[in-house]
Amino acid sequence: MMPLSRRAFATAAMASLLVGCGGQGAEEGADAGSRRRRGAQTPEEGPPPSPSANSARTLGGSAPVRLQIPAIDVDTPLIRLGLAPDGTVQVPPITADDRAGWYRHSPTPGQVGPSVVLGHVTVGAYGDGVFRHLARLHRGDRIVARREDGTTAEFAVSTVRTVAKADFPADDVYGDVDRPELRLITCGGPRDGDEYRDNVIVFAELSATTR
Amino acid sequence: MRRTVLSAMALTCTALLAGITPAFADSTSPTSVPSPTATVPSATAVPTPSAAEPTTAPSTEPPREATPAPSAPSAEPTRAPDGGQVSVVPSGAPDTGVTAPTSDSGTERGGLIGGGAAAVLVAGGATAFVVRRRRTNGA
Repeated sequence: MMPLSRRAFATAAMASLLVGCGGQGAEEGADAGSRRRRGAQTPEEGPPPSPSANSARTLGGSAPVRLQIPAIDVDTPLIRLGLAPDGTVQVPPITADDRAGWYRHSPTPGQVGPSVVLGHVTVGAYGDGVFRHLARLHRGDRIVARREDGTTAEFAVSTVRTVAKADFPADDVYGDVDRPELRLITCGGPRDGDEYRDNVIVFAELSATTR
Repeated sequence: MRRTVLSAMALTCTALLAGITPAFADSTSPTSVPSPTATVPSATAVPTPSAAEPTTAPSTEPPREATPAPSAPSAEPTRAPDGGQVSVVPSGAPDTGVTAPTSDSGTERGGLIGGGAAAVLVAGGATAFVVRRRRTNGA
């Protein structure tokens, strides 16, 4: 009688434990997932781009329509972005077919100056954004911007920086430069509530142009 | 016999409680869901201006630098050009990442439901086993 009763309660206790484990396991799984995602954001490379002679020909103004980054399998149409009502830069819409966007108050790729392209790292319930793996780029990786007039501006990555949003380097990103450059911007770093704490910024310089 | 009934009742209660636990855990997760989904509309509000832009921007690409404000007067704040290569420098940092709590909570919910179902099955099986054994023993 007694041993059976104990067995019954032991079984009940096991059942309760199982429920606890099931719930916690799922949470840990989600946590581990976000940790893995964070792990992918860490790369950061050396100093800002060094001024080097660039033999690539400077192009005239023509809006970019497509961006390709073979190293991280990115091939995206480019939409045009302006300013949000609060004065921050617009970002692409949250959609399943996430696209990057060119900030239209910046020079077009191939023109002298910093051409700015933005893309999401994640798009909420839709999953990965177009710039999900931007932080994996390394110095020398190729970025190709196809322009409305049929020309192509090819860039080489010079630096990848992960910076806190609170210390966003506006001068380095939007400041004047003496050659055609490209800035790719997305979010990164650990999550702070519903937001990412950092920005990942890729600095690239013009390496070739084609007609 | 009374003990058998009491044991069976205790087991049933435990099974019920076990089933309720994941329901509590589940009900907390939706509270985090509305806030991110509430952020989505604000982000989906973005395409409206960008959708409006192509009507003006492609044809007005050259005068873009001279008159940035008229090209999207409804969407953009009127800011004087800064005179640099980037004619209007945005303020703050771009918000280019919308986190995905919905998918996470979905996984979580699946785990909880699975765990709860397993627990109920185990508890039910144990109850049946105990009752049958006691009946066999004539308790």
